[in-house]
Amino acid sequence: MKCEAARPLLEGYLDGELERTAVDEIEAHLAGCAACRAELAALESLRGALRALPRERAPADLRARLAAIGELPAMDSTRAATPGSWWKLAAAVVLGIAIGAGVMRWNLADRGGPVGGALFTRDLLASHLRALAANSPVDVISEDRHTVKPWFAGKIGESPPVVDPKSAEFPLLGGRIDYVGDRRTAVIVYGHRKHVIDVYIAPGADAADARSLQLQGFSVTPCRLSGQSAWIIADVDADSLREFSGLLGCGD
Amino acid sequence: MPRPPSAPLDVGLARDLTLPHLDSAYNLARWLMGSPQDASDAVHTAFLRAARYVHTYAGGNAKAWWLSIVRNCCLATLAARRPGDVSLDVLETDGAAHFGATESDAPEEQLHLAQSAALVMHHLEKLPREFREVLVLREIEDASYREIGEILGVPIGTVMSRLARARQLMRKALSATPGVQP
Repeated sequence: MKCEAARPLLEGYLDGELERTAVDEIEAHLAGCAACRAELAALESLRGALRALPRERAPADLRARLAAIGELPAMDSTRAATPGSWWKLAAAVVLGIAIGAGVMRWNLADRGGPVGGALFTRDLLASHLRALAANSPVDVISEDRHTVKPWFAGKIGESPPVVDPKSAEFPLLGGRIDYVGDRRTAVIVYGHRKHVIDVYIAPGADAADARSLQLQGFSVTPCRLSGQSAWIIADVDADSLREFSGLLGCGD
Repeated sequence: MPRPPSAPLDVGLARDLTLPHLDSAYNLARWLMGSPQDASDAVHTAFLRAARYVHTYAGGNAKAWWLSIVRNCCLATLAARRPGDVSLDVLETDGAAHFGATESDAPEEQLHLAQSAALVMHHLEKLPREFREVLVLREIEDASYREIGEILGVPIGTVMSRLARARQLMRKALSATPGVQP
């Protein structure tokens, strides 16, 4: 690795955001390059200075203001910054319950969120877009499902179903672990021409009542894969998507 | 099965999701807004908004969800008050001056001053908002690139480039301070 290649990675290294292989490469480079070591030291010294700053804590009066909000009888006396907000809040919450009857509070406790909800879909899409923006959308690169599947072992709770469509049109590219919200999720990555198709496996999630969605030019399609809930995210046309989910053996 | 409409319960849920990260919320608001009063008001407004839209929270990173609401409230207030940037008059009184930074002739003392919290704080406060917030989130709140991306609603690549620029600006500002360079 040369300095030109190492420099842009130094901050990712400092922030602990590099993959293992990149960490190894940069450490090898640092061992033999005083200039890059000096640059890293400068970054570390800035970090030290910033981390030494006092962290502002929420003042007690703010905590008291927030604590007062939920108490119905106190509503007349607790409006500090946003007058009239309590009634608006109450109305909005009631309305929210009426509208979002499917988005129920106990879902949060039971399965970490009403999977299939709008925010979940957005999390999925955000995760997909992040992966596309990264250098490589795969952490384990392999066209062999017998390589991809064991790679997940020990990294994620439940072993994900890895299906090889055995089609030149939809090659298996590999897999990665990604975050949907703060949930670690297995992702099986396929290709289609120049496109990347991500299949997110979300065990315990229920795709049954989730709908297929079009968001920002991407389709988010729920399906059942070997008994587990999965979401297919891609920017391929509807026919290709249907063919692909057929090859995977997706139930709807 | 819909739950009986019961508003306090949902305020309770909002509280469960947000209060564990109240210091983070306040810290972020403080760096965005400048004054303690404005920061408290922004967090208060954000809490009401969180309670109102708590049904849109669908699992995921509660801290990032909450901080993105706090940030939006801060930006909305700032935009209404003064389109462009945060009120520097408030900031000026808060950083170096507040910490008693003074001119000094002794190089060692100046070097110490340069490394002192007051000066770093001063320069961080003067950083344009988009760079200030990524540094605050990364270095003071210890957020990952992903979390920062979620809070700001931007891709990770943008987080990385802003962070790089922010560090560059900070280093430049600190090294340009008279007496700091050896």
